[in-house]
Amino acid sequence: MHFAPVPYLDPGSGSFLIQLLIAALLGLAVAVRASWGRIKGWFGIKSKPKDDDEDDESDPK
Amino acid sequence: MTSRIQSSGQLSASFRDPSGFLFSRGGVLYRQVNRAYEQEYARLMESGLYEKLVKAGLLIPHVEVDQVPAESDAFKILQPERVPFISYPYEWSFGQLKDAALATLSIHRRALRAGMSLKDASAYNIQFVRGKPTLIDTLSFEVYKEGQPWVAYRQFCQHFLAPLALMALKDVRMNQLLRAYIDGVPLDLASGLLPWKTRLNFGLLANIHMHASAQKRYSGTEVRSRGGTTFGKQAMTGLIDSLDSAIRKLNWNPGGTEWGNYYEITNYSDAAFEHKKKLVREWSARLKPALAWDLGANTGVFSRAVSETGAYVVSFDIDPTAVEENYRQIKGEKTENLLPLLLDLTNPSPSIGWAHRERDSLAGRGPADLVLALALIHHLAISNNVPLPQLADFFAETGKWLVIEFVPKSDSQVQKLLVSRDDIFPAYTREGFEAAFARRFKICEAVDVQESERVLYLMERY
Repeated sequence: MHFAPVPYLDPGSGSFLIQLLIAALLGLAVAVRASWGRIKGWFGIKSKPKDDDEDDESDPK
Repeated sequence: MTSRIQSSGQLSASFRDPSGFLFSRGGVLYRQVNRAYEQEYARLMESGLYEKLVKAGLLIPHVEVDQVPAESDAFKILQPERVPFISYPYEWSFGQLKDAALATLSIHRRALRAGMSLKDASAYNIQFVRGKPTLIDTLSFEVYKEGQPWVAYRQFCQHFLAPLALMALKDVRMNQLLRAYIDGVPLDLASGLLPWKTRLNFGLLANIHMHASAQKRYSGTEVRSRGGTTFGKQAMTGLIDSLDSAIRKLNWNPGGTEWGNYYEITNYSDAAFEHKKKLVREWSARLKPALAWDLGANTGVFSRAVSETGAYVVSFDIDPTAVEENYRQIKGEKTENLLPLLLDLTNPSPSIGWAHRERDSLAGRGPADLVLALALIHHLAISNNVPLPQLADFFAETGKWLVIEFVPKSDSQVQKLLVSRDDIFPAYTREGFEAAFARRFKICEAVDVQESERVLYLMERY
């Protein structure tokens, strides 16, 4: 479960790779959501527009 | 901070960064920006990012000054606004660490919009200024290159996400791991300590559990990005959003600890309480301290009596519940000159890090102008067995003025402490207390608190 005390151990590579993986998964989620929106669009259901750029201009809560 | 200055004047906490460093001259704090950082500094100032961050209270303001550089290779000398009291993440309540985490992500997001990236996500770069988490390291930005992942990702997970998850989902006292691990909680340790059900939470599964496994699996492997596997801006935004939502979902609600309802169960009458508050306010208004420390502050009732007279008050307590409630109160009331912090006075923050010089001890960040020690002395003298003369020495080193409450043995709170042990404290009397403190202090006032057996003293150290 835990690290052996190996000298010169650099956990940086793992941190790099996991970012790529998370990004890929999140990218997939975005794509699925987008196509779901398109499918809903065929049936005349409109998705709410997302205001993404403004919210973090406010102070962190 | 003043105790940690090397002979060149350079502050020892800022030795790692080739971009520049802090130094102190004539009691004023400066930051040297090295030539190596010229391009980044120009981008920070010219892109409008600096102005936006300062306006939002997320970055410490500075002015460029005409000072002789502390070392060669200088590009500019800055004089940042001075932070009234430097605090560390192991002294913060859950809410303080959470707000510092969200501020860090918000800063990185704004930096990305200006074509820059936050290269350092250390919790030690955040300080509470005017009640809000603020980045104090102006040199933490680099020019963003599309395709690069977030270099500070691992640091963010170790300094913020892992301790917050442990505090919220395991035990709030887990923040003390930050005192042992100066670069944040190792992710394999966090992964092992967190309850199994946290694997069902995508944010924690990906950023802590899988992250820890990946570190173990790929340690020492050289990673080179091949064509097509670069990390676009969209991916970066997705990563930041996912961290933000993982942090926002973590919550801890205070309640049910030792001191949370102290004022409800204590034997104070309202008259005694109001009398004490009136005396504290009067003395503080007369002495006009710039910096006051309230030791054993609980939720900060008496800290407020002092901060209302204009002093900057650091409000210390051992209980995470009390500190959290105090913090929520300053946030709600937008109080700018009161800082609630977690502290066990019987084992105060030590100096830690390289050569004991990266993070200051509590004593190294003193002395204060005024120290409050209200309803405290019996805990130190009786529960913790510290002899009265040693207590007098400690307080004399901690501040110039001392407002201290003597709680006699006959008081029901002291009786509670003595119920399960022998009374080995023959010197713990009003006379013994005054004799011990008179060696180090001039006793200026001694007032019997109304409707109680307690005495409130105002003392000035020799």
